[in-house]
This record gives sequence, structure tokens and C-alpha cells, in this order.
Amino acid sequence: MYNLRRFLVKHHYVIMFILLEVICILMLARSQNYHRSTLVSTTNELVGTIYQWGSDVGGYFRLRQTNQQLVEENAMLRKQLSVVTDTASSVYSLLDRDTVYEYISAKVVNNSTGQSNNYIIINKGHVDGIMRDMGVISPEGIVGVVTDVSKNYASVMSLLHSKSFVGVRFKANQQLGSLKWNTGNYRYGMVEDIPTHIHLQKGDTVVTSSYSFIFPEDMMVGTVEEAYESTSGALNEAKIRFATDFASLRHVYVIKNLHKPELDSLRASIMEQ
Amino acid sequence: MNKTLLHSIRFVALVLVQVLIINHIRLGNYVHPSIYMLFIMLLSVTMPKWQVLGLGFLLGLCVDLFTGTPGLHAGATTLMAFCRPAILRFVSGHQKLENVQEPSIGQLGGFLRYVSCMVLVHHFTLFFLESFSFHLIGQVLLRILLSVPVSIFLIMMLLYIFNSEKNRETR
Repeated sequence: MYNLRRFLVKHHYVIMFILLEVICILMLARSQNYHRSTLVSTTNELVGTIYQWGSDVGGYFRLRQTNQQLVEENAMLRKQLSVVTDTASSVYSLLDRDTVYEYISAKVVNNSTGQSNNYIIINKGHVDGIMRDMGVISPEGIVGVVTDVSKNYASVMSLLHSKSFVGVRFKANQQLGSLKWNTGNYRYGMVEDIPTHIHLQKGDTVVTSSYSFIFPEDMMVGTVEEAYESTSGALNEAKIRFATDFASLRHVYVIKNLHKPELDSLRASIMEQ
Repeated sequence: MNKTLLHSIRFVALVLVQVLIINHIRLGNYVHPSIYMLFIMLLSVTMPKWQVLGLGFLLGLCVDLFTGTPGLHAGATTLMAFCRPAILRFVSGHQKLENVQEPSIGQLGGFLRYVSCMVLVHHFTLFFLESFSFHLIGQVLLRILLSVPVSIFLIMMLLYIFNSEKNRETR
């Protein structure tokens, strides 16, 4: 016992170092999971508040750009609306479909693009009806999925995350694929599992597929930048350019799927069988 | 001013500058500078080593809370704090460290070398921990190579700005 104590006293510096590093590695390994650690969840509110200050100041410098973006989106929505009012017969089907989803607007208070796992913090929390696993979109395209919610803030797993996975569809030929992010570049993502007989062209539009419970169908994702033919005869891959500019993300919408409880209970009953 | 108060202010200020300003600097895809570890560099040489280690861990953890990566920055700053005595001995050579209270540009010969070594250790650990594997080794090395000079430059700038102010006060 005496020897042990002497050993600890003598090497306390190295022992403390090893202990701290082990704690770090453990925390890091745990945070590689889809859901974030409790440490980050519990401090979410404080971190969100501080980021809000910074964003309040920084926001003024981008007012012009933000305005431009919102005006463009308005114009697009007006155009869509005019189509709806023109074709009265399809009004009901359109309205029917759209009431499945509710959009909650939010402001990005912090955002990163340089890490290998990027998160976004938005200024809406569970008091505004935000819940885990809701989709997040920007005026240009999809952004990510809500992973943690505190009272007034929520953190969103960006598409720029090693665990990010979205079912997508090529608009030109209706083929499905799955979107991942392993390029390390915030502009580009990878679509995998594309059947080999499909020929893609640069500029082909990629949208969300109907199989996702998170995003509505036909949400803009990006455009094909480069298609890679598989050499081994396996499934092809394509590099796509995200429609969303993650570097200048400011205003986003959180998508609430009103049918989600129904879908979840249905899925749960299937699992039980 | 009280030393503890000064250090506390420096701690908070550096973390805030790092997460609110420096983390948003985008110079291409590979440059991710850090300046917050300047806090550890400026701690007194006579401070007990285990305290420096503990502060290093705490500092990294604070930055981690903001970036949402628990353990990443903490791991890097802890290792940096652990290497600090060795780096100090290495850069000071035969100079008696007992006379030096706080490492600063004027007091410690080879201060730039000291900063460079510390930044290198920090960035090396940080970027390797971040990739968590060796399969993107080229990209990681490129990141280190490009980020280290930018970080050193920013840190030296900060030091010069604050030092010249301090000199003016004393005059």
C-alpha cells in the first residue's frame, strides 16, 4: 500500500495525463454515434445563447445577401402559387399533400463546414414544437436532420456528417440512390448504390425520394457533378454538388411531418410481428 | 492586476474569440487555425505542472462544447500541456527558467520557436484525432501543414498587439 502511494505521488503527472487523455478518447469515441453525448445536450442551451450573440452581430453584415435569397424564394413560391390557382382541379390534391407537412422557420446561430462531423445550431427548440428527427431545409435545398433539442435551441446534424444518410432520386430517370458525405468538401456529396445501367449527365437534378419519413418527396438536393463507373461491376457512384450553400447558411425551415406518429406506430407494429 | 483574474479573463476571451470569430474563417478547405491554446502558452513557468495539465483539459473541453465534439480539442490541448515543460526546456537551452515568470516575447529567447512547437503539437493531435483513422492521411497532413503557419501568424499578431498596449501603459 505504501509503495502504491509512493508510486502514485512520484508519477502523478504522467498518470494524470494518461487519465485525461483516456477520458478524451472515450468521449470522442462515444460522440461518433448518431446521437450526441449528454454533455453536449445539457450545455446546448448555454452554447446556443452565446452563439446567438455572435450571430446577432454577424447577421448585419449579410443582410443584403439574405434579403436577396428570401426575395428569390418568394418569387419562386408566387410562381408555384399561380400554377395552383390556374389548375383548379389539382388544387385539392395539392392541398391534401401539403398539409402533411408543416414548416417552422428558424435562424442558424452556428454552423460549421470544416469538421468531419458538422453540426448546425438553430434558434428554435421544443417550445416551438421542434422534435428529434425532423428534417431541415434551406430555401435552396435540404440541410440536415434535428438530433438534439433543448428549450429554445436545437442542434442539427448537417448533411456534412460522416453518419449522414439520405434516400435520393435522380429526376431524369427516377432511379434511386443513397446520399452520403465522404468528400471532405462542403460543396460536394456522394450518391452511392446507383444501378450500373443508368447513365448520368453532368447537371442532372437530384431530389429526395418518397421513402424518407424526414423530408417530403421531390425536395431539391443538388446536381450531378461527376459520375463514376464502377470497375468491379458493382454499383456506380456519382459526385453531386449540393444545392444548399452550407458556407452561407442563415435562414432554414424545420419540417414537421404531421403523419409521423401514425407512420411510427405502423412501423413499430411491423417490427413486433 | 490580480494574476488569477487576468488569467480568467484571458481564458474566456480566447475561447469566445476562437468559437465566434476564428472558427468562421474559411480559407479554402484545409486551413483551420486555432488561437485559444495561447492561454496555456502564457501560463507562468513556475506553475505546478499538474495544474497546467488540468487547465489544458478544461480549456479544450470549453471549445469542444461549442463545436459539439467532446474530447477532440481537450485531447489536443492536454497533450500540448503535457509537452510544455519539455518544449520550454528545449527552446530555452541553457537559459535559467527560474528567472522567467511568464513566457513572453521579451523574456524568453526563441519565443517564436516555443509558439511554433506548441502549435505543431496541438494541430497534429487535433487533426489526427478528428479524422479518427489513418486512411485520409494525405488530407490530414495537408491540413496540418497549411493550418500551422496561419495559427502561428495569428498568435504572434495577437501578442504584438497586446504587448505594445501594455508597454504604452507603463510608459
